[in-house]
Amino acid sequence: MYKFFTKKITMIFFIFVPIIFLWHPNWLGFLGVQPYWPLFWLLPWSMINGSINGLIFGLFLGLILDSLTLDNNFTQIPGLILCGFLFGRIKLHSDIVLNHFRFGLICSFGSFLCGTLYFFQILFKNFSDGTFLLFIPSFQNILAEVFLTGFFAPFICSQLFRMFKSSGRKFQ
Amino acid sequence: MLGIRRISTSRWWHKKKSWIFFGIFLFLVFVRISKGSIYKDFYYFISKPFWPGQFQKEVILESIKQESLINFNLLTKDNIRLRKILSLQDSSNNDRISAAVISRKTGSWWRQIILNKGSKDGVEIGNTVVGPGGLLGRVQNTSLFTSSVTLLTSPESKVGVWVDRIQINGLMVGLGDDYPRLILYSKDADIKVGDFVSSSPASTLLPPNIPIGIVHSIDEPFKARKTAKISLLAKPYAIDWVQILEVKI
Repeated sequence: MYKFFTKKITMIFFIFVPIIFLWHPNWLGFLGVQPYWPLFWLLPWSMINGSINGLIFGLFLGLILDSLTLDNNFTQIPGLILCGFLFGRIKLHSDIVLNHFRFGLICSFGSFLCGTLYFFQILFKNFSDGTFLLFIPSFQNILAEVFLTGFFAPFICSQLFRMFKSSGRKFQ
Repeated sequence: MLGIRRISTSRWWHKKKSWIFFGIFLFLVFVRISKGSIYKDFYYFISKPFWPGQFQKEVILESIKQESLINFNLLTKDNIRLRKILSLQDSSNNDRISAAVISRKTGSWWRQIILNKGSKDGVEIGNTVVGPGGLLGRVQNTSLFTSSVTLLTSPESKVGVWVDRIQINGLMVGLGDDYPRLILYSKDADIKVGDFVSSSPASTLLPPNIPIGIVHSIDEPFKARKTAKISLLAKPYAIDWVQILEVKI
């Protein structure tokens, strides 16, 4: 049983991403906004398994998360695909402390990218209906999400990276 | 001599009884002059335990409540009858399904709640969801056991609303923050802070006259339209139980 969990730990956490996305624990939020959870899984996964795997699993995560949200006109897929691909190109630094901060910065950047792409979709869709009204709440959402994702990433990503690495199973 | 002494002791002011009567007389004169105030004050203290107290108050409040309820029912029946004559949208208490909120996303881009009642319980896409305070949103998606509700604050939400004071219809759109915007397609609309906004009686998507919110602030008029920030009466981030209304289209 232990061996099974150790080997499948990446997939167990993959399943856990949509659950925490739905759970939306308010006590972890800031201004009602949550960290962008899928990036915490996608970053270590892509760093270990490379750009192509990152891109594929970015697509998978996007498909699952889109199915959980009701916004039929907007999608998270482009942001997650791009993040998965970019994260796969990042190599681990030899300094452990520096790595922690890098996780934070990279996740913040990824969150900014995903948030901006999502905002552009909303902007494009609502172009005729008072576009200017959307700017302030959207910037607030993006900034709060970037801050929270960057804040939690050093703790979560470094732990997940260590666990994924030690599971010793590379995605084929 | 003895006779004289007897006479002198028989004077009225030598009798104790006379002084008692005189005292009583003076007291009664005082009572008369003060118009019985001592009696009234005395009565105040002794009757205090028997005043119409809390119980009496409850009886009266209950009567008022019953009267209001009867009036409300009569008006509701009248309203339903008139709406039937005009062939307008309607909803009744029999079509309500109570549901608990099992997932809540009230911040960020995605503003939705998931309820523990689904198609198995008769929930359908397009049903209206109300909570304590008023309208929350509409059912956008159902599974066998759950239903997902797009909140009024979601960028996907657009509903027709009615501003009662100025008797005008408007469009309420969600922007991804806690305050949806009311768009009135008239630059001269006399909307004011504090105006009450409800679902439009002419709406085909929502039941009529469901409370929605209050005008929080008004923006500068822009391109022949006026926009206002709406503070919602029902707070989705705090509500745990909601009711799903079936809409007959």
